[in-house]
Amino acid sequence: MPPPVATTPIPRQFGPVNWRGVYTLYKRETVRFYRYAGETLAGPAVSALMFLAIFHFALGGGEARPGISLAAFIGPGIVMFMMAHGAFEGGSIPIIFHKMEGMITDVISAPLTPLEILAGYVLPATTSAMTVGAVVLALVAVFVDLPVHSLTAIVGFAFAASLLMALLGLVVGIWAERWDGYSAVETFLIAPLGFLSGAFFPVDNLPEAVRWAFHVNPIFQAVEGFRYGFIGQAQTSLVLAASVLSGMSLLLGLVAWRMLAVGYRIKP
Amino acid sequence: MDPIFVQGRAPGPRLIGAVNWRGLWTLYLKEVRRFLNVFTQTLMAPVITTLLFLAIFALALGGAGRQAAGVPYIEFLAPGLIMMTMMQNSFANTSSSILIAKVQGNIVDILMPPLSASELTLGIAGGGVTRGLMVGLAAGLAMWIFVPLRVHDPAVLLFHAVNASLMLSLLGMIGGIWAEKFDHIAAVTNFVITPFSFLSGTFYSIERLPETWQVVAHLNPFFYLIDGIRYGFIGRADGVIALGLVVVPAVNALLWLIAHRMFATGYRLKP
Repeated sequence: MPPPVATTPIPRQFGPVNWRGVYTLYKRETVRFYRYAGETLAGPAVSALMFLAIFHFALGGGEARPGISLAAFIGPGIVMFMMAHGAFEGGSIPIIFHKMEGMITDVISAPLTPLEILAGYVLPATTSAMTVGAVVLALVAVFVDLPVHSLTAIVGFAFAASLLMALLGLVVGIWAERWDGYSAVETFLIAPLGFLSGAFFPVDNLPEAVRWAFHVNPIFQAVEGFRYGFIGQAQTSLVLAASVLSGMSLLLGLVAWRMLAVGYRIKP
Repeated sequence: MDPIFVQGRAPGPRLIGAVNWRGLWTLYLKEVRRFLNVFTQTLMAPVITTLLFLAIFALALGGAGRQAAGVPYIEFLAPGLIMMTMMQNSFANTSSSILIAKVQGNIVDILMPPLSASELTLGIAGGGVTRGLMVGLAAGLAMWIFVPLRVHDPAVLLFHAVNASLMLSLLGMIGGIWAEKFDHIAAVTNFVITPFSFLSGTFYSIERLPETWQVVAHLNPFFYLIDGIRYGFIGRADGVIALGLVVVPAVNALLWLIAHRMFATGYRLKP
């Protein structure tokens, strides 16, 4: 009887793209998102209702613009605010956590190209944020009579804004070495961009100089584009909004890709 | 043998009177240094957030001479925002301090020393109150640049500031002792503390609420805190200030007893 021959399993073969690897990363982050649904989904939902209640009682109804109720104006703004914030958190928190706990080596040593790693972090953050948006939108729609003008604009701007904020989150996540760095960016950049994005109030009556500051804020462009999908009016041109969002996404995508490729703050 | 071992006496234990003052002071300092060490997150972030809320509401509502409770809306809002951020930060301080210590295991460092339940309660609550007052003061000074804040009654103002910080510090302690995971305390913060501090009259006079909700508001201790500190600033209250002066200390006494009991029995602290 011949002795048993130990066979080495041959390495898995894959083509130019390691689809299974990307899918595995995607699944891991998505599972994480749903496991903490109490914080990642229910948290934004409660906050959204709170903002609606505050604005309802503080402003006492009324109209934002002729023919458009204040609630229908603020509703989409709140949804976009929650979505943008969720995408930033989803893009940044996992990679910081993986770096601090040392699990990042599992990703780096796997046969994944920098672009595949980028997709594995950014895509789950984007779809999770859109899930947050859908849940918040459904809740807001219970209390607010929301018209629908263009479904394409709604979905398109939801995707573009989530992608941009997820990419921004990833760049910040790679850069941050501790939670302090992350929370500083959140406090001094993300919160002001989000709150001062015209999500909660019309910017029509602001002085020219202040209005200009709003227009350079990408979240303002996202809010206006997204809101156009509902009420059919925007303070900015849709082409400009779409170009700003995709242009910045491209730029941040390049930065994140280079960071991953050279191993900036990831590889020793 | 080395003469020091023959002649030297073993150091006796430090003698402690009725109160372990040095231990209490050390615990308090530890609590304060804990949050000052990351002051960007614990002091500056709340101030920025408060200013952002002020900006939003000033831009959204400030125009057209809008008034609330007989004063310009922005002057009505500012005291509420100061109180809101004080409450959230006092709660965050004590709850995170205890929970992190429990999760990481270094809670034994405060359970082992000769500190009584009263000293533990006082020392940790003291840290939370200090953070609440510091955040409130910083937020108040930052707002003062933009809003003409005037103080109508400093005594009432200080009373509510201290009692609010104490109430939320005690709640944070009870929450931190009860919670076993970060999820638990995150849930309490997201679903109880934040909504209550937002919806208890920070942003609007409760006269605007429907009749039944006005009654409900009077059962909410947070309402007395926000209403009371606003009286200290603008001299006008939705409710009866004298009632708040009774309700708030009573609630604090009850919470203190609960927190003290938890430390005394070691509920979820000692094996």
